[in-house]
Parts: sequence; C-alpha cells; structure tokens
Amino acid sequence: MGRDIAVLVKASLNPEVVRQGAEGAYDIDYTPLKISDVDRNALEEAARLKSILGGRVYSITVLTWGPSKARDKDLKLAVQEALAKVADEAYVVVDDSIIPGDPIVTSNVIVGVLKSRGLKPALILAGEASVDESTSQVPGRVAAKLGYSYVGYVRRILEVRENSVVVERDVEEYVETLEAPLPAVLSVTQEINEPRPPTLIQIRMASKKPLHVLSLAGIGLNVKPKRLIKEMRVVTVFRKQVVLEEANLEKAAEKLIEYLDKEGVLRI
Amino acid sequence: MKALVVSQRLSDAGELVAVARRFGEPAILAFQESALKVEEVAAYGHRVYRVRSDRPEALYRAAASLYESLNPKVIVGPSVKNVKDAMALLAGSLDIPLITEVVELSDGGSVLTYKRGFMSERVTMTAEVPYPAIALLNPKIVKPAEKAGRGEVVDFDVGDLKVNVVGVRAKELSGVKLEEAEVVVGVGRGFKSREDLNLAFELAKILGAQVGGTRPIATDFKWLPEDAWIGISGKRIAPKLYIAVGVSGAPQHMSGVSGSKVIVAVNKDKSAPIFIQADYGVVADLYKFLPILTSKLREKLPRRA
Repeated sequence: MGRDIAVLVKASLNPEVVRQGAEGAYDIDYTPLKISDVDRNALEEAARLKSILGGRVYSITVLTWGPSKARDKDLKLAVQEALAKVADEAYVVVDDSIIPGDPIVTSNVIVGVLKSRGLKPALILAGEASVDESTSQVPGRVAAKLGYSYVGYVRRILEVRENSVVVERDVEEYVETLEAPLPAVLSVTQEINEPRPPTLIQIRMASKKPLHVLSLAGIGLNVKPKRLIKEMRVVTVFRKQVVLEEANLEKAAEKLIEYLDKEGVLRI
Repeated sequence: MKALVVSQRLSDAGELVAVARRFGEPAILAFQESALKVEEVAAYGHRVYRVRSDRPEALYRAAASLYESLNPKVIVGPSVKNVKDAMALLAGSLDIPLITEVVELSDGGSVLTYKRGFMSERVTMTAEVPYPAIALLNPKIVKPAEKAGRGEVVDFDVGDLKVNVVGVRAKELSGVKLEEAEVVVGVGRGFKSREDLNLAFELAKILGAQVGGTRPIATDFKWLPEDAWIGISGKRIAPKLYIAVGVSGAPQHMSGVSGSKVIVAVNKDKSAPIFIQADYGVVADLYKFLPILTSKLREKLPRRA
C-alpha cells in the first residue's frame, strides 16, 4: 500500500462576484476563479496527515471554466496555494476541448492523471462541494472508477491505520463513525479543521516545486462533456440598502425602529 | 422500464413518484427499516424493492443491480447526503450524468432538461444532459403523486459492505423550527463568545423571534444547536423580518435567507457585503448597539417586556 495523498483542488467561479450581463444573463466570462473554499480544508487535513503517513502529497486540478488563456492567472493562484500549503507537486489539466467541463469530464481526467502517471495514493482528499456548482459528486465518481472505498462529508479523520481509515461522517440528523478500507476517497466538510493560510516561506518555496501542466492528449484520454448549458440567469432580489451610519446609536436605533414599523414587520 | 425512484422517506416518495411518472411506469427502490413504511410506499401502485440499510454503499449496489436489470432511462431521488453519495458512485461507475438540487425537470426528447441553482443560488442554470441520467430533486417542487393500488414488495439483499459502521450519535438539536418563525435574529462571527449571544436572545425575546446562526456558530463553535444553522446547506428561512447581527454576508449564508421580506444588518465593518444585501443596515459595534435597540424596543413593545 502506498502512503501518498492526492488532494483534488478546484479553481471555482467565485460566488461572491456575480456579474450580470445583458438582460439578466449571468456573465460567466468576467467572473474570476478562486480556490474552492472547502478544498482549503482538504489541503489543511493533508498537511496534518502527511506526517502520519510519511508519503508524498500531490494536488490534481482540472480547469472547468474557460477560455483557458483568460483563466491562467486565477488557475495558477489556486494551484500555488496547494503547493505552498502541502503539495510536493501539482498536476493541472488545461484543455479547451473539455471547457466548460462537467463532473463526468472532471472525474475521468482525475483518474486519467493518476493512471497515466502511475500514481497510487492511499488517500484521495477533496472538499465536500465546490463553491460554484456544489454538486458533491466528483469524489464519489473517482472512487467508483478506481475501485477505492468512499466516504463523503467527513467531519473528522480519527485514525489512519495500516489498512483502513476511521472517520466521522456528517449526515443530516446524525454523525456516524466509520471504518473504511484503504485506499479510500474522502470528501471533507469545513468543520474538519481551521485552514491556516500558507506562510511567506511556504509561498516562496512553492514556486520551486514541480507544476505539471497537461493536456487531454498528454494523459491519453478522449472524453467530452455531456452537459450542455442552455441559460444562466442572475437571481435578483431587490433590497433597499438603506445604511444608517450614526455616531449617536440611540438615534440609529430610533430610526431603524421607525423604518421597521413602516414596513409592518413589528407588531406594535 | 422508464424510471427508477430512489426513496429515503415516505414524505419524499410522493413527490419523486410524481416526477418519475412523467417518464413512464416507475419502480421504487426504498431503503427503510420499517416494513410498515414500505407498505405505504407500495400504495403508489408500483413495484417496490426494499433494502434494509441506508448506507450509500448498500444503495449503490442495489441501484446498480436494478439499473442493469430494469434499464431505466431516468433515476430520480432526493438531494440528501446518503443518496447523493450512493448516486455519485453509480454515476461514476456508469459514466452517466448526475444532476442534484434540481428544481425543474422535463423530458426534452432525446435529452433531459433541468434547472438548478448555481453560484450559491445567486444564479439559476438551465441545462440538458443525454439519457440515461440520474436526477436528485429539491423537496416541494411538485405536488405528491396520487396513491393507486398496491405494488409488490421485493426484498433486496446487497451482501457485506466494505465500509463498516463503528458508531452513530444523534446531533444535539433544539427542535426549534426556524423555517416557521416570523422573525429571526441571526448571529455571526461578530460575537466573541457564547455568553455574548445573550444580547441576541434578549433582542429576540422582545421581538418574539427565534435565534439562528451562521455555519461556524452552529457547527464549529457549537454555540447554537445544529438545527439553528441558517444557510444553503443548513436551514432555509423566509421570515417577515430577518435581523443579521455580526454576520458578514457570505453567499452560502445569504442564500438561506433570500426569501426574507425585510433584512436588517448590524455590523461594525462598513464594507461588509451584508449591507448591499440588506434593506436596512446599521454600521455599529453590536456590543454597543444591541442593548440600545433592545431597550428602545422594550419601550415600544411593552407587552413583550
């Protein structure tokens, strides 16, 4: 059994920046990418487990949103964070033929990277969901394709044993403790740890680590997205955005109460 | 066979069956412990395959075997964690599309057309995928199906599982139904300690409100029970009045309160994104402002004092 850890890192569309184009359409081309928030928890957990397992850590990223040329800077920033935080090397697959991607493409490409490079990690860690699509399916798909065991929504990794891993899994009404045989794919929730940003030294070291940029042909794969996006519309909720900035808080409170009274939401 | 329904509870079965019937006569895969409930699911008149485990691995194996024998065009299920995990495994092994949190689903001829939220639900996406496909639905998007007749119940054995359950513990829940409250006070990381939440509880008392919080408040710090977590993955609320105190306004939280009639924000950081998502914002230190607001309201709403 290998002792390596693979971390799946996504450069997601940033949901904090939702730009509206013509007639309420969502302007995806002008939305920046950023590392998907929960992937930071996966990286933090990999850093903790690296010393226990004693193997190498590598990150795998598949570019989903294009055009690839315009995404280069954002993509690099996300991958650099993985390298700075914990990864010994990073694999990035960039290919305009699979953009915009879908989970079928992403999972096939991840498996393609592992197989073409002969990588056999004991653990594959990922965030429970990406911040853009939030479908929580890539880790399970990867597990099924590789024949790894799979546990989603892991809140805590309690113990890594010789041939298994013991974890706490979050379900809606309860938390269960599970023992899964290795190798395993685990998706983690943001409760698992408090991700610390990489230090300056780590960031400087990151630029010296190997970053492998691969094309689809480079991993010997031929796969096409099956999803066709027809329309994306920005959900608009009108808010009044009245801001009270009073030095006198008594006055601010009185004004607020007056507003709420007029809205009819106080039962006076 | 045109459709397979994966049902977790009686409460979701009716809606899932209603959607599945659009594609033809469905069969149902039900995973429940209680035989009685399965009989109720059978009352929709379709054949029910019963698995006596809700483990994702068990569901995956049962669904994979049924997929092979029944050859369904569509599998529909609820967007809950056990089903999502099981269907991710199935979709991966078959390389077929899996769509989740679906709010609209229709047969587009050679493709399945659907709508779902995107970007923390700040955007809606309409897309299509080829058949066969798995669609996991959001609750309450259609009326439940009519019951008709009595379907046959067939027990399904999935054998030994790879992942073992060592233990299960229930979450600490308050039982408070935030989604039914007319006024909600939401607390965020602007609060420095659990004791300080009393400032929010005092305000809530005067307003006849319930108190909820952002994800870290309920799950990481455990200052509130987990069912008081408001957000896209927690409770979604639509009160008449939502007062967010010390909440920054992250999309994952705000999507859970977007149905509120009036949103008030109290935050000392003038540049916090909550202010552009609120009707009324007060730029102030919550530790100074909340006691003043509470006491002013106490004068106005004496019967609640």
